[in-house]
Amino acid sequence: MNYELKNKQTFAGGIHPKSAEKLAKDCKIEPFPVPKQVAVMLSQHIGAICKPLVKKGDDVKIGQKIGETDAFVSAAVHSPVNGKVKDIALQSHVVAGRSKAIIIETDLENNPQKQLCKDKFNENFSAEKYSAEEICNAVNEAGIVGLGGAGFPTRVKLEPNPRLPKKTLIINGCECEPCITGDYRIMLEWTNQMIAGVKLAKKASGCSDVFIGIEDNKPKAIKTIIETLEKSSNNEKIKVVPLETKYPQGGERQLIKAVLGINVPTGGIPPMLGVVVLNVATAAAIAEAVVEKAPLTHRVVTITGKTIAKPANYYVPIGTAVNELLEFAGGVTEKSAKVVLGGPMMGIAIADLTTPVTKTTGAVTVLTKQEIGKAKFACQQTACIRCGRCLEVCPEHLNPTKIAHAVKNDMLDVAEDYYIKACIECGCCSYICPANIEVAGYIKTGKIFLARQK
Amino acid sequence: MLKDITVSCAPHISGRFSTRSVMGDVIIALVPAMLAAGYYFRMHAVILIATCVISSMATEWLCNVIRKKPNSLGDFSAVITGIILALSVPPNLPIWAAVIGSCFAIAIGKMVFGGLGANIFNPAMAGRAFLAVSFGMMMTTWTVPATINPEMPNISAENTVDARTQATPLALSKEAIKKGQRAEIVNEQLKDAITGQVGGCLGETSAIALLIGGIYLIVRKTISIHIPLAVLLSAFVFGSIAWLINPEVYISPVVHLATGGLLIGAFFIATDPVTAPLSIKGMWIFGCGVGIVTMLIRIVGEYPEGMMFSILLMNAVTPLIDRFCKLIPAGGKPSAA
Repeated sequence: MNYELKNKQTFAGGIHPKSAEKLAKDCKIEPFPVPKQVAVMLSQHIGAICKPLVKKGDDVKIGQKIGETDAFVSAAVHSPVNGKVKDIALQSHVVAGRSKAIIIETDLENNPQKQLCKDKFNENFSAEKYSAEEICNAVNEAGIVGLGGAGFPTRVKLEPNPRLPKKTLIINGCECEPCITGDYRIMLEWTNQMIAGVKLAKKASGCSDVFIGIEDNKPKAIKTIIETLEKSSNNEKIKVVPLETKYPQGGERQLIKAVLGINVPTGGIPPMLGVVVLNVATAAAIAEAVVEKAPLTHRVVTITGKTIAKPANYYVPIGTAVNELLEFAGGVTEKSAKVVLGGPMMGIAIADLTTPVTKTTGAVTVLTKQEIGKAKFACQQTACIRCGRCLEVCPEHLNPTKIAHAVKNDMLDVAEDYYIKACIECGCCSYICPANIEVAGYIKTGKIFLARQK
Repeated sequence: MLKDITVSCAPHISGRFSTRSVMGDVIIALVPAMLAAGYYFRMHAVILIATCVISSMATEWLCNVIRKKPNSLGDFSAVITGIILALSVPPNLPIWAAVIGSCFAIAIGKMVFGGLGANIFNPAMAGRAFLAVSFGMMMTTWTVPATINPEMPNISAENTVDARTQATPLALSKEAIKKGQRAEIVNEQLKDAITGQVGGCLGETSAIALLIGGIYLIVRKTISIHIPLAVLLSAFVFGSIAWLINPEVYISPVVHLATGGLLIGAFFIATDPVTAPLSIKGMWIFGCGVGIVTMLIRIVGEYPEGMMFSILLMNAVTPLIDRFCKLIPAGGKPSAA
């Protein structure tokens, strides 16, 4: 396959959410202090839930594996602190409602803050001394999952599959959502570590082409990465592709369309085209896992919102409660109306602020009443005026209003007929809807109903 | 720390459009046409627009009370129906007829279907069609603009009979076609048709005012360009064909575009989102249909104009167009469905 590369590539559809500002854009990634207690979820990824390897009262060490399964699609979890297992109990889970977590009380006296390992890499890093198998095993041991938000186990993506040989590796530097800045900071500050991870992923997966797709509202990141690659003695032909700034440019299917100009078949997955997509944060984690043998216990979380005193990007121990993050960021004012794990477009609003950070929590976004109620006609819906804006913005070229109304009227067969399953739940339709209809909400509901029918 | 936090489905932010802002934009875009109407037809314009708007809103309010539904006047759609109806009737239409037209437009054209978003036909056009078939004489008598005839008749009913009237350019054109006369006299009226100094419906006469409003709507992204473009292009092509065949009898296509409500129809009525197709392909089919049917009526049919019937006709086939233009997902049809 020959892919034509044009400048500022993109996909059709999508939106430009102007109101969402990147408040933490210029905040360096700072280590987060060790919390008194962490709750490590046993399900932080797509796939089987881990079984705990420790029991109540056990002592655990930093990086110790505390949960795993034999299932193919799954990822182990590790303790981010030294401490004692206080309990294994249900905790508010951002996706699953309530789920089992290992609650660890930190041994505060004996707990060094985890240091960033970006300085251990330089631009001439070579993946040659590691075999593909070694890399895959290290990734598996470290429990790495897609850090962009979906949480698909990275090992499954990288491992060679004789039926679907991999050819192209695309690194997602688009930032999945407006407001989030963690990936941007990683590209700027952890450039060498990230590129080392890219090289390792290339080696492990056997891909021959590597593209790093970056939105053009991050010129500094594009420049830094291109310069680093130029300086390097072995840049392995990694190409940087500037993309148009648009949501959902960071969506896997949209990214592939933008970079390679091909559509992933409806109902299909990227490996069918020989494509692997990894997030920049995942690449950085791979480098750490392979070279430092360090498991995935911390991740970069953006704290942002107009009511937050100090928007920031922290390197947070996984399992830290959201309210501790908010307090450390200077607390929030009374005007806050919604706390969202993730970005404002696809993030999940939480009711319980003790919900712990998981491997897939890229950001905590706090929204004000004004922001969530903006442009709303007395904050209420009107009937669909059939303006067709949702069709225009849908990156998957669906008919969102038709699907939403089919679900609303309990006609799931019609919804299926209009390809409800092809929806990527990006939320562009709800965002643009002048009638304030929760189009994406109806579609998600319909998908759940359909899954239950089976 | 935080007491009341909201939990709801993503996304948590929304864009700049609301039903009210969309409708408000249309009202703003209609201002130039209303001003032109006021300039050419003086008190007739003011009274007709006010009557139609007030009676439309009153009807909508009453319908909601009867149906025990929340008040929906806040979405401004009744105001638009009122304005468009007023702009598409002759200036000397009696007030009572305007009231009847507005009541029909809202009550039968919109509310019986379930209100905004559920109506099949454009309410204003439904009201106008009702008036056209009920009071044919009144709906085809056009006063000359005040700029030509400073002694405009009074508004009172007894004077309307004596009003100085003038055939519209399209009525002259129809006569030319029927009698095989030369159409030159109509072509000479083009300049007046662009500014609005011709006989015709209240808001249809000034092409320039309508264009300004239409361009505003497109720039603000309130309407997409597809429907107006399709209507105007198809009408132009069809008009050109007739004109090229026999330029003596048929008027120039430019005159067709500038007169008889083609512009108000293309920019403000055919683009009514509720009654137009959803997809871009559907919009093109719809727009071309409106343009071609209009020209068919004008050139071959009995009526001199035709915008109203063509829009109503295409409204009726909109659900079919939508079904025909089913979108295919970006990744193609699923292979094993």
